Amino acid sequence: MSVIAIAALLIAFSPARVVQQEKIAPQFVLKDVNGRTVRLSDYQGKVVLINFWATWCPPCRAEMPDLVKLQREHGKEGLQIIGITYPPEQKTRVRRFARNLKVNYPIILGTRQIKARFSSDETLPLTVVISRDGKVSDIISGILLREEFDEKIKPLLMKNKEGEKRDAKSNH
Amino acid sequence: MLSRITKLVFTGVLVVTLGVITAAAFTKTVTIKVEGMKCAKCSSSVTKALKATEGVEDAQVSSEKGEAVIKYDDQKLNEAKLREVINGTGFKAVEEKTQ
Repeated sequence: MSVIAIAALLIAFSPARVVQQEKIAPQFVLKDVNGRTVRLSDYQGKVVLINFWATWCPPCRAEMPDLVKLQREHGKEGLQIIGITYPPEQKTRVRRFARNLKVNYPIILGTRQIKARFSSDETLPLTVVISRDGKVSDIISGILLREEFDEKIKPLLMKNKEGEKRDAKSNH
Repeated sequence: MLSRITKLVFTGVLVVTLGVITAAAFTKTVTIKVEGMKCAKCSSSVTKALKATEGVEDAQVSSEKGEAVIKYDDQKLNEAKLREVINGTGFKAVEEKTQ
């Protein structure tokens, strides 16, 4: 019995669990590759995916068309993707790359400090999921699979929809 | 009574053995060379995509060796599909050798 209790405590306070716990996402104000200011706080109320990527990383390049598609399909539902290059890269190279892929979300030149504020996981790509209330709800390591989007992100998008429906009903 | 128990035990063992043999017969292992897997922090996507594929029982991907060793159920998928999954992660599956 005591073994079970110890095991439960270890699981509850393990580092992996701490990452999974919903903490307020660290704020940032950065310029995107087109010179526009991007503040994380501007997207409050939206489900934000912060995608850390690099131009030289094949899986990052492979998932970008899917991210463009997700932004197009779910943008109206409140999805906002923000791409942050990591490690730092040349602006012209990143801008050309994003233009070629017709990226429809802001791309920011990241720094090691910015990346470290979100996660110490060195895997690329890495996607930080932020719920509508500004909390980190998940960190997805590696390519974002469709199944993961359906399981971990779609419910966050649905949450507000249900809330809106309830609000609309109560207003009538 | 004893013979009935013996029969039951024998039948149980037979069923389990046949099940294991059948499962083993469908399990294949393939080594696929993967081109461009130079960074270890990127190659985890290959493992992830393979393990998420229905029919894949295990996948060990090595960026050092530049290969993926995949255990899979050949009733559910084939090598061509596995190469397709690898290519979908941005790397290139170049050749395969069945063990």
